[in-house]
Amino acid sequence: MEELIQELKERIIDALNLEEMTPDDIDAQAPLFGEGLGLDSIDALELIVLLEKNYGIRLANPAEGKAIFASVETIARYVSEHRTK
Amino acid sequence: MSANVVITGQGIVSAIGIGAEAVLDALRHGRTGIGPMRYLGSSHHELPVGEVDLSNEQMKAMLGIESSREVSRTSLMGMLALRQAVDEARIAHLKHSRPATRVVLVSGTTVGGMDITERHFGELLDGDYTHLDSLRQHDCGSSTELMAAHIGLFDEATTISTACSSAANAIILGARLLEAGQADVVVAGGTEALSLFHLNGFNSLQILDTQRCRPFDDSRAGLNLGEGAAFVVMEREGDAATRQAHVLGYLTGYGNACDAFHQTASSPDGEGAYRAMTQALEMAGLQPRDIHYVNAHGTATPNNDLSESAALLRVFGNDLPPVSSTKCYTGHTTSASGSIEAVICLLAMRHGFVPANLGWATAMPGGITPSLGIEHHVIDHVMCNSFGFGGNDSSLVFSRQATNAADAALADVDVKVLAEVDIADDEQLVDIRNYVKPLEARRMGKIMKSSLLASLKALQQAGIETPDAIVTATAWGCLEYSERLLEQLRDEGEVLLKPTYFMQSTHNTISSNIAMRLKCHGYNVTYSHGAQSLQWAMRDAEMLLRSGRCKTVLVGLHDEMTPTLRQLLQHLGIEVAPSSFHSKAIVLSC
Repeated sequence: MEELIQELKERIIDALNLEEMTPDDIDAQAPLFGEGLGLDSIDALELIVLLEKNYGIRLANPAEGKAIFASVETIARYVSEHRTK
Repeated sequence: MSANVVITGQGIVSAIGIGAEAVLDALRHGRTGIGPMRYLGSSHHELPVGEVDLSNEQMKAMLGIESSREVSRTSLMGMLALRQAVDEARIAHLKHSRPATRVVLVSGTTVGGMDITERHFGELLDGDYTHLDSLRQHDCGSSTELMAAHIGLFDEATTISTACSSAANAIILGARLLEAGQADVVVAGGTEALSLFHLNGFNSLQILDTQRCRPFDDSRAGLNLGEGAAFVVMEREGDAATRQAHVLGYLTGYGNACDAFHQTASSPDGEGAYRAMTQALEMAGLQPRDIHYVNAHGTATPNNDLSESAALLRVFGNDLPPVSSTKCYTGHTTSASGSIEAVICLLAMRHGFVPANLGWATAMPGGITPSLGIEHHVIDHVMCNSFGFGGNDSSLVFSRQATNAADAALADVDVKVLAEVDIADDEQLVDIRNYVKPLEARRMGKIMKSSLLASLKALQQAGIETPDAIVTATAWGCLEYSERLLEQLRDEGEVLLKPTYFMQSTHNTISSNIAMRLKCHGYNVTYSHGAQSLQWAMRDAEMLLRSGRCKTVLVGLHDEMTPTLRQLLQHLGIEVAPSSFHSKAIVLSC
């Protein structure tokens, strides 16, 4: 899981173009949206693309993403359970 | 000079018919044009669309254009609609009978010739230049010029690109040119063909419904894309009376405001929409209860319909007239929707009925209850809403008779340049860090950064915090990101396109990005008419200042060039500026 968390952090930084951030700057348990990192709805769409492209996971409904994208850790848990690649 | 503007001709090409008669029949019988894809060669068969039921070949035959000639579908549909409008208004021979008549074409589009570009981009990247000429039709302005040349009636032409409110803003500009005495006849509207580019782009934003759209319904799950074109012929009332033209209605009010909230979402209280509607009512000298029908923007996305409901309830309170969205007939025709729905409003007013909001069954929390259609309904005044990405919100009011319109003659005042800033190299661009945090700039492409930086610096120099209006010019828009999407389509096929790139591929993103930063809710438009873009933006700004509507206007010219396109254009013999990007911001005052 630690490895996946690290990989996700790197992919998130790349996909969202979080310049000047390193994986260590992202707390795996901290909220990604709202008060935490301050991401918004477009970032959520980028995360949906990221999951489909890298892990073969298709989220048909953006509303589903809310719980999954709560933190890097929740994403990692969802990916490990649902990945098809 | 009388400022009363009348409509003396209309043309419409849509999924529910070619021509006003066919559209009227479909509306009265509740017949939708949304269905399975037939003409757009997309693999997304799960997505219903509102296609115009004509192939490009059929349209060329109708227009007398050689079948071997490649013409963008955007231009072809536009030509058909223009021809209808010009014929109905009987203005084709006006130039000969009244030599001083200045006839102007104002068209709204965002897609432009993208349908042709996406067809040939792959081969061009591979070095096969057989269809290199197709690039001449890529930009928005060239699609308008092509239509103007085909009709052969216009002294001037320009293009407005404010995403889904483009055609409404074209009609507003038309009225302002007439009021200011800068034109005698304006043919205004918009045209937009479906393209793989924006179908897949909207799909990546996850706002396309796989079923027929259901505006204002609790179960709504997104929009259906449509295509089409519509134009109206506009004149001053006195001129129309002199030549005994048949009047279809009066444009009595209009409003343009910026939501200044988010690139792809409307604010929860619909501030931009509220301002646009309020301005339109005020200009028409009407109270909310005077409006007898509202044709809503009503895209059927969860966000739009909730935000628009909030704005409608703020404006109309307990006096809410029947409201319906006709996107359940035509699909969302994006840049053309403003004029397609304006024509629908004129038809509803003249024939006294309210088109049914198809597909509605269940009220949504906080939402309005749309009309399911009224067969006999006297409409003296009708409101037409068009809202675009970036919060470019516009509202039009059409009436059966003139209302007490304000005198809009231009004052003879001096327009001063308070500041002018150019940003054209990477070294200057580093300065953006002094204004914007990296996290805030994470989605901004180079042109977004340079346009914002030049604007902020120019305003700082002028000592102005927020201008009254922002008028932007761009020939190519955010080219870098559009090109990346075209590459992604070529390399990966019709997959989810990168949302960040797509949301910046509309030309008005630059202007709305500046508005969001400045919290500027004032007038906001984008001109995309080739090398004349800046000239038109300056002309617009000057009209705003001289009409007394604004005290300060931020004008910008922002363009970028990619290595690939530069090379292709050079092969075509088209001169390209040396820098990879250039932003010019000018602060004007009077």
